Amino acid sequence: MSTKIRRIVAGVSGLAATAFLAGCAKDAPQDTWQPKGTNAKTIDDLQQPVFAIAGVIGVIVTCAVVYCIIKFRDRGQAMPEQTHGKPALEIGMTILPALILAGVGVFTFRTVFDLSKTSDTQMVVNVTGQQWWWEYDYPAQPELGITQPIITSGQMIIPVGTKVLLRETSRDVIHSYWIPALNGKRDAVPGRVHTLRLDADEPGIYAGQCTEFCGLSHANMRMETVALSKEDFAAWVANQLTNAKSPAEKTLAKEGEGVFLNQCVRCHQVNGLKKADGTPAIAAPDENVWAGAAPNLTHLMSRNTFAGAAFDLLSQKCRADVWGASSETVGKKYLAGVTEECLNQTDLRRWLRNAPAMKPMYADPAKLTSTNGKYRGMPNLGLTEDDIDKLVAYLSTLK
Amino acid sequence: MFTPGSKLFLGLTGFVIAVSVIYVALVDNSIGGAVALLSVATGTALLAGLSLFNRDGEVAVGDVAAPAGAEPLTSSMWPLIATVGFVGVVAGLLTHPIVFFLGLIALLASGTEWLIQSWSEGASSDKTYNASIRGRMLHPIEFPVLALVGLGVVILSFSRVMLAVSRDAGAIIFIVAGAAVLFVGSIFALKPSLKKTLVVGICVASAVGVAASGIAAASNGLRADLVEAKEEHHFSHKECGEEENEHFDHLAEGTISLRSNAVATIELRDGKLTARELGVAKVTQTITFPRSNSATIIFRNKDEKEARLTAFLGTKPVQDGVVEEVLDCTQMIGKNHEQALTFKIAKPSMASDKPYTLTVPGLEGQSIEIMVP
Amino acid sequence: MAIIERPVTTQGVEIAPPATPSRAQGGFKRPVSTTGWKSWLFTVDHKKLGIMYGVMAMFFFILGGLEAVLIRLQLAAPNGKVLSASVYNQMFTMHATTMVFLFVMPMAAAFANYFIPLQIGARDVAFPRMNAFGFWCILGAGIFINLSWFFGGAADGGWFMYAPNSGPIFSPSHGVDFWALGLQIAGIASLTGAINLIVTVLNMRAPGMSLMKMPVFTWLQLVVQFLLLFAVPVITVALFLLSFQRNFGATFFDVSAGADPLLWQHLFWIFGHPEVYILVLPSFGIISEVLPVFSKKPLFGYPFVVFSGAAIGFVGWGVWAHHMFASGLGPVSVAVFSISTMAIAIPTGVKIVNWTLTLWGGKLRFTAAMHFAIGLIVLFTIGGLSGVTHSVAPSDTQQTDTYYIVAHFHYVLFGGAVFGLFSGFYYWWPKVFGKTLNEKLGKANFWFMVIGMNMTFGPMHILGLQGQPRRMYQWTEARAGEGFFNLAFWNQIASIGSLILTLGIFLFIVNVIKTARSKERAPLDPWDARTLEWMTSSPPKEHNFDVIPTVHHLDEFFHRKYEQDPVTHEYKQIATAEEIMADQEAHADKHIHMPSPSYWPIVLAATLPVIMIGVIYSIPVAIVGGIFLVLAMFGWALEPSTAPETDFDPPASEESTKELSPLV
Repeated sequence: MSTKIRRIVAGVSGLAATAFLAGCAKDAPQDTWQPKGTNAKTIDDLQQPVFAIAGVIGVIVTCAVVYCIIKFRDRGQAMPEQTHGKPALEIGMTILPALILAGVGVFTFRTVFDLSKTSDTQMVVNVTGQQWWWEYDYPAQPELGITQPIITSGQMIIPVGTKVLLRETSRDVIHSYWIPALNGKRDAVPGRVHTLRLDADEPGIYAGQCTEFCGLSHANMRMETVALSKEDFAAWVANQLTNAKSPAEKTLAKEGEGVFLNQCVRCHQVNGLKKADGTPAIAAPDENVWAGAAPNLTHLMSRNTFAGAAFDLLSQKCRADVWGASSETVGKKYLAGVTEECLNQTDLRRWLRNAPAMKPMYADPAKLTSTNGKYRGMPNLGLTEDDIDKLVAYLSTLK
Repeated sequence: MFTPGSKLFLGLTGFVIAVSVIYVALVDNSIGGAVALLSVATGTALLAGLSLFNRDGEVAVGDVAAPAGAEPLTSSMWPLIATVGFVGVVAGLLTHPIVFFLGLIALLASGTEWLIQSWSEGASSDKTYNASIRGRMLHPIEFPVLALVGLGVVILSFSRVMLAVSRDAGAIIFIVAGAAVLFVGSIFALKPSLKKTLVVGICVASAVGVAASGIAAASNGLRADLVEAKEEHHFSHKECGEEENEHFDHLAEGTISLRSNAVATIELRDGKLTARELGVAKVTQTITFPRSNSATIIFRNKDEKEARLTAFLGTKPVQDGVVEEVLDCTQMIGKNHEQALTFKIAKPSMASDKPYTLTVPGLEGQSIEIMVP
Repeated sequence: MAIIERPVTTQGVEIAPPATPSRAQGGFKRPVSTTGWKSWLFTVDHKKLGIMYGVMAMFFFILGGLEAVLIRLQLAAPNGKVLSASVYNQMFTMHATTMVFLFVMPMAAAFANYFIPLQIGARDVAFPRMNAFGFWCILGAGIFINLSWFFGGAADGGWFMYAPNSGPIFSPSHGVDFWALGLQIAGIASLTGAINLIVTVLNMRAPGMSLMKMPVFTWLQLVVQFLLLFAVPVITVALFLLSFQRNFGATFFDVSAGADPLLWQHLFWIFGHPEVYILVLPSFGIISEVLPVFSKKPLFGYPFVVFSGAAIGFVGWGVWAHHMFASGLGPVSVAVFSISTMAIAIPTGVKIVNWTLTLWGGKLRFTAAMHFAIGLIVLFTIGGLSGVTHSVAPSDTQQTDTYYIVAHFHYVLFGGAVFGLFSGFYYWWPKVFGKTLNEKLGKANFWFMVIGMNMTFGPMHILGLQGQPRRMYQWTEARAGEGFFNLAFWNQIASIGSLILTLGIFLFIVNVIKTARSKERAPLDPWDARTLEWMTSSPPKEHNFDVIPTVHHLDEFFHRKYEQDPVTHEYKQIATAEEIMADQEAHADKHIHMPSPSYWPIVLAATLPVIMIGVIYSIPVAIVGGIFLVLAMFGWALEPSTAPETDFDPPASEESTKELSPLV
């Protein structure tokens, strides 16, 4: 290649790369090119050179085609030589890409095995997918302060700088757990347990989305991984280990507890909630929901999204404050939970009024023959506005 | 266009289909009756097709039909087979259904063949022509049926052989037989000049050989481990009482789907019960088990004594006020054997008065707690 | 001038008295008309079938395109309300199903049917009735699958239909049943077509045409037919498992019964990956014909193109698990499939190099066909390179199931397969219809399509890399990022692009209508072409060639027109296409036997949807359908390949019929 062509190629590739990068969104929450954890960085270090090589080759081919178009257009020249090819050139053009790919292959091979390492795990979380939300349970790990298993949903909390192993499975169809800033995705397959390692360099809220098509509300199956500093994490754990306290008598919240016991406890567990006769109220989602589980609401207000992380529990202003916080302050702001003034009343009430209208689910009792009448998702409970007021008051106490 | 005969049969077909529709709609909408009626419709439709096709056996105007007895007809074996079939049907009714069905098949086959042969022999005075129309009518039936029977015999016989010999021998036989087929096939393909009789001879001889070894193998019975597998009632050894079977999966973890599925491995060694959870390096005395989701654990016995693992999975009400413990367990397994146990716990630990546990009966003070969040 | 003879006897021996009946069988007259609707419905002519394949595929292209436009309208703004979640899921499932099985595959079959016999100098395919049967099957399949829209909703599990989401519990409507059973019918069409074309290519080439003198289009189509032959049985098995699970209570993918859902993924992708090459290789073949013609040079490195095509055909079987890098296969499988996927980039790269070098030093004429062919080279290269980025498995775990993948395969399949097919339309239109498509409109068609396509699918690279997953009926602003060029912007651009693309395709339809109305006939050899299909009239006669040509060269037609001066090494024209044609007509073969039309292919094919309907709704209906199926098979088997003389109307004269034996 002459220097002139080389310069053109370099110029065009540079221009293309700049245009591409300039054309990207700023701070897209699920950007795959902004790694925030070791695993994602490992992937990024591997893919950047591959993209660069691919870009250069693309520019070279395009330039060659454009050159041909300009140079060899029919200007009445004589019939070209009827050559059938030059085997040496052909073989060369076969070996060259093979060599490039062999180089890429070696690094790919190493990275694949690096990423699958689990032997130095420091913490374990069981991640279970279900139509259309994620459940996380933390096995007892006394060295991390987790003396009893913790169960939560939607948002997974991890301590910063800790190698966390996710053991993923599913209760119904295949889902896929993906927090782009922390690692690539891994499918949660029913009947199998798949592992995925995450760790975050800095405290923050990292957004993700279920990426294996899982039916009707696939688009609404979101999740976040929240990385907290070690102290904040300990505080979070301590709070999660407590049971819910019954609200004071004669308050709206206490009446809400009654509504909850009447309606919600059929599927939703609140640890420490007692029936009127003083016995613990145990939810029976296995009798009402096809997949057999519903989110545990004991510490609902400690998370800031609900319904499969599809909706915000925080009002818009408070949300911007927490999500936009710097890595130093995000932990404290997150741990503050959802206060009265920050509660996103609109969405929570709409949800209680008619959940399937907000998020498509299989909850029409008339159409549940294939599941013997069991729901996939939350049905419309037909609550009165009065009940909703009481319920909201009760739910706000579940810190 | 439609001959009188075909009109008759077509009408019959339509009638039977109508009857079956009415039958299904009004009388009984189970499958059995409809299948019977529609089978009749198939028969009449086939007959309609046949008479359409041969124009009721009429020979076109201007053609000379064969004068009866003008030429001696060839000898036929169909009357004989039909008789055998008839005897088979009658004898089968008295003795065994298989005899009945074989007789029925012989009767049907000979009936069809006989019918068409006699029709074709009267079609014209041209014997070659008659033979060719017989072929055109019957070959579409004969070839697929004969091919099916022939291949069926070979496949069945070969499968009997593979079931009778040991696993290793089976692999060797498979490789040798495959290579031989490839080799002989290549020779046939490369030497088109080979005599047809030679090719046919080799094929027939090998088919007969396979069939013979199949019979020999079938009379010899299955190989030992298959006999054991047959006696082992899979999925029935759930009782935690008396052992039902002697045979079971010795190395459960050997299958890939189990390996990727087991949430924990429980090991019994030197009288101590320990657990190891998936993805965690250290051993523990409590495991966390997902709620409302079937999951598997693997029990591995490293002790000299036979042992079983019993899981206590809470209680269930039997009648008012009476509850029964829900137990699940592996079989008794010997040293260095493993067994998988799959179960599902729908309620969290707090719903049970006693914790969910894994124990080995007869081994006091050793248990693994199952925590269900 | 040759005539198609009514069949005459081949038996020379007279038996006295013959007394052989002239009409002893057949209740019906065979359809023998050569004009009118019957001549299309019952035809076994590969050219008529090719045109019908094309018309059908075009119809489904428009249908699938409208589905795509609806999808893009839904995604133009956040929280789209054009479609409900349920309808959206059906829409993207059916868009992919329609485009893959009912547009690209039949359109490739249209080209294969029409041009393979012409390119190899044959009078028809090896099994003409089977050919017709294949067409009626795929048409039936297309109608059957789309019937589901009117019976409670179409399939909603994605074209990959992953278990257990496709099971009766998670997809309770009959959509998946229609989908699975319809694809079984389509599979029958593909299999019969593949066998037919393989036999045709291997056995019916003109004298002198060795395999290495065969046109590249035919070569790559041959590879495709072998891929079909081995890939379709795999999906057939998978679809049977699915249908039995849904309709007869089997538990192949039921986890609670001990099944492993990954079984479906393996079965699907063992079929699904070769399927990608099934879609794109025919277009590679087309532009490997177009580029040399408009460069006035032979294809650069013909044997390399052929062997790399065959290599893709082999290696294509060893890469399926790259669709499953995130499925949890374990590091060993992932690493191995990652490497094998990189390996398949090599033969593909060889092709791009060869096409570029075909242009190099040529004498390029930029016709519409050439525009599309050059467009393919560049667009496919982009798609191929983005493919390399996710052959790197760790990188793929970030990209899979995002819009980046959507961008990748649309560059490969739209930029590759569809541009190739359009190149073929412009190149071969004069051959098929005797009229040339308008070049000006053609170029406008190209520019609209190329701009629309890049606007639609280009931004999807960014969308995907910035984390927008696929198959979401809505996207939210919360995850769209900040700045002017946020994901909302790019979603909008993509939606606008899809409308421009639609306009481009509309221009093509306008062009077709305009050309059909024009009276101007195309010249015999409008492009100064190189291969045999141009060595006959346009459109070709029913028997294709008056004389079966004897082949001496690759690019035989070119070498009949041009000769190299031994001294100056320059090529001089020694004959025109008209002269070659006149010479052929003068020496036309005396007796040409062509197979007669038949009722049975369409009758037999029509029974299949009936059976499938029965499987879904009521078994007795399936049994009735089965009865007709068996009857049709026997009717077919009993029918001679040529109609007896008495079926012609009026019957031929006495002397030509009396020796006739319809049974030979």
